Amino acid sequence: MAEGILIAAAILIFLGVAFGVLRLILGQTVVDRIAAVDMLTVVSISLIALYAHVAGRSMYLDVALVYGVLSFLAVLAFARYLERGL
Amino acid sequence: MLELFVYLLCGSILVSGILAVRLGNTLAAAGSGGLASLFAAVCYVLLGAPDVAMTEASIGSGLAVLIFLYAIRRTTEKAP
Repeated sequence: MAEGILIAAAILIFLGVAFGVLRLILGQTVVDRIAAVDMLTVVSISLIALYAHVAGRSMYLDVALVYGVLSFLAVLAFARYLERGL
Repeated sequence: MLELFVYLLCGSILVSGILAVRLGNTLAAAGSGGLASLFAAVCYVLLGAPDVAMTEASIGSGLAVLIFLYAIRRTTEKAP
């Protein structure tokens, strides 16, 4: 049961990364690409958390935490730039 | 399955780097460069180096993109 859930999560994360990169390649506007970057950040955080559970090391969760805070700041900076702030 | 994810992330780093060079818009190019750094950090975690990954995520994906955005803002007269 738990094994099946982990495999399903891995497949979903794989497809998320693949289609996110596809959107990054195909996206016409800048906003499309920045939204793709934001989605890929969230998918990457979930991948790190999944690997932390699979490998049984809780230190990888710290990496995911730092990652979430900083990626939030980067996407916020992009949004401020598009609104002529920064 | 771990090798499959490492291959996917390495291909994504390659695609992001090529897009960062080839894209015409500088803002999207800065985003692609930050994304390449982000995938590199995830790849470091999967290969067993969490401290390197934390440094890469904070410097490459956080600070470098902010400095790039600040430089783009200072060197262009009007926003795109």
